Amino acid sequence: MFSYNFQLALKSLKERPALTLLTILAIATGLGLYTTVKTMSYQSSQVPLAHKSKNIFLLQMDNREITADAVEHQARMVDTTYKDTLNLMQLEMPGVKQSFNWSTYGILNVEDENINPLQTTAAVVNSTFFTMFETPFLYGNGWDKATEEGGEAVIIISKLMNDKLFGGRNSVGESVRINTHVLKIIGVLDTWYLNSKFYNRSFWPGYPDNFFIPYTFAMDNNLPRSAGFDCWAANADISRSFRTENKGRLINSECAWVTFWAEVPEAKVTDYRQQIMSYMESEKALGRFPRELEMYLTNLNDQYNYVNGRNQFLNTFSVLATLFFAVCLLNAVGILLAKFMRRKKEVSLRRALGAKKKTIIMQHLLEVIIIGFLGGVLGIVISYFGLQGMLNIRIYSSDYTVRVEDIQPLFQLNWVMIGNAFATGIVCTIVASIYPIWRLCNVPPASQLKSQ
Amino acid sequence: MLRMENVSKIYRTELVETHALRKVDLHIKSGEFVSVTGPSGSGKTTFLNLAGALETFEEGDYFLDGQNVKGLSDDKLSEIRNQKIGFIFQSFNLLPDLPLFDNVDVPLRYRGMSAKERKERIEHALETVGLASRMQHLPTQLSGGQQQRVAIARAIAGDPLFLLADEPTGNLDSLMAQQVMELLEDINSKGTTIIMVTHDDQLARRAHRNIQIFDGQVSDIEKSVADDVIRSA
Repeated sequence: MFSYNFQLALKSLKERPALTLLTILAIATGLGLYTTVKTMSYQSSQVPLAHKSKNIFLLQMDNREITADAVEHQARMVDTTYKDTLNLMQLEMPGVKQSFNWSTYGILNVEDENINPLQTTAAVVNSTFFTMFETPFLYGNGWDKATEEGGEAVIIISKLMNDKLFGGRNSVGESVRINTHVLKIIGVLDTWYLNSKFYNRSFWPGYPDNFFIPYTFAMDNNLPRSAGFDCWAANADISRSFRTENKGRLINSECAWVTFWAEVPEAKVTDYRQQIMSYMESEKALGRFPRELEMYLTNLNDQYNYVNGRNQFLNTFSVLATLFFAVCLLNAVGILLAKFMRRKKEVSLRRALGAKKKTIIMQHLLEVIIIGFLGGVLGIVISYFGLQGMLNIRIYSSDYTVRVEDIQPLFQLNWVMIGNAFATGIVCTIVASIYPIWRLCNVPPASQLKSQ
Repeated sequence: MLRMENVSKIYRTELVETHALRKVDLHIKSGEFVSVTGPSGSGKTTFLNLAGALETFEEGDYFLDGQNVKGLSDDKLSEIRNQKIGFIFQSFNLLPDLPLFDNVDVPLRYRGMSAKERKERIEHALETVGLASRMQHLPTQLSGGQQQRVAIARAIAGDPLFLLADEPTGNLDSLMAQQVMELLEDINSKGTTIIMVTHDDQLARRAHRNIQIFDGQVSDIEKSVADDVIRSA
């Protein structure tokens, strides 16, 4: 019976090719846009370092003044002060890694006169950064603690910059100049794709920094600090100057501006939390932390959940795409209804000759599954081009400052999305066909057999 | 074989109730050739639909081959139609894009027969109606009379208990009507019960028995004659 129903389903598809094509197009168009948005949403919501993302925590301590407003969410809490950063780095806790970072900027030069100087940003980090965030190295390595403590002028560059400045050769040992400072390259990162730059909490989609500089060198040489300074009232008026001036005052201030991370094994999270609380209590005894002691230890998963939930563009686009898909499905319902009801005389005859309702349902379900499958295939093709379009829009909207290869993974279909698209296409087409099939099966056979 | 007791069929709308059949009592025995006549709108089609298990009814009982059809599920009614009833329609109701072989095959497919058995039955049925040589032709390549013979082949291929023919010659000229009638008589002579709705008095008279329906009520006007014929058969 299955093969007979399958033959009939194929025959039915060919019977009204225009209606069949319209149904497939309606489903494919809706599904194409839906899959485009879902892919972007899926790719941007993927949490990096998935194997340990629940163990990588952003640390925030509420060191604000007593008059400060309460915060509604951890995301609104201030970062860490420089003195707390240095103090926390002294904590000894086996198995726990701590890292911190901020951004700097400057004009970069190389010896090769054919390469024009370029304005660039760089991440200022400590040595643990590379192990905690598992940055892949093409050449060389990160710096060690001794190098860091010595404030040596070293730098790690991205593959992109290595390609651009040194033609892709092993540049370890060569130098670059940032503003007036000459730094020796000790490592070249391999392609390090991040769907968003989480480590500085910007969650900006795209790619990581192109340069990484030790924090000791950055502070010793007063490299500009590109950060938002959350200061107490006493320093609020000069907080903007902390970008380039008043380093001494900044170091001793209650201005929070350093993003502080800790990698803590599951078994040690409670201990780590307690240790931080103890630290805060001891500082409070010294007159700091005037408010009720509060700290946040938020892992990467929770941060991504929060950020994805607040992605207005994708959320709005996602609602629109879903609505559009629903409209396309409603269209498909109409077309299927027209297509099936043209067949009511034949179905009535088959019912009169002994076909059970479930046989008629099976025949038509097979037909819509084929339609759904073809709609799925075409939908995936449409979503491929849709994603290419969105990629180009993104590049255009960034004034072509973004490299295609850096953000392309955000706009790339993968097998999960292709599988989802097929399943969605078929399931939605089946749902869209319920009413037309129900109507067809409930046509009284006798009503159609008398007519000419 | 077919017995209706006090069967009534009422069509209801929000405003009116139409009594299509009123308290029909009827018994048709195996092997009979029964014609059903009556003016338009009298309830002939409703009678045929009920007899063919194509419609349900509210009152009375309808026994088909000893089984009460009343209240059976839709699936069960489909099975009964498939296994016990052969339909012949005025407008033939062949599937135009299927060859004759496949048209005759339709009810057999729904019975779940093996391919071999279906083939044998189809060939035999088409042979019976004289169209064995044209089994790969499409219905549109045949005359009206030939198409009706294909419909008869489809009806008899499954060896039903009885054939329900709704104006089987209504769309045919007199010569073709004559041929179709002779074919039905031939099938009946081999033991298949036939119930035929017709407007044609001449054809009605060729049946063993004539049932008249008027205003939803059935009168069996030649019952005794028919009984004699059946007894002598």
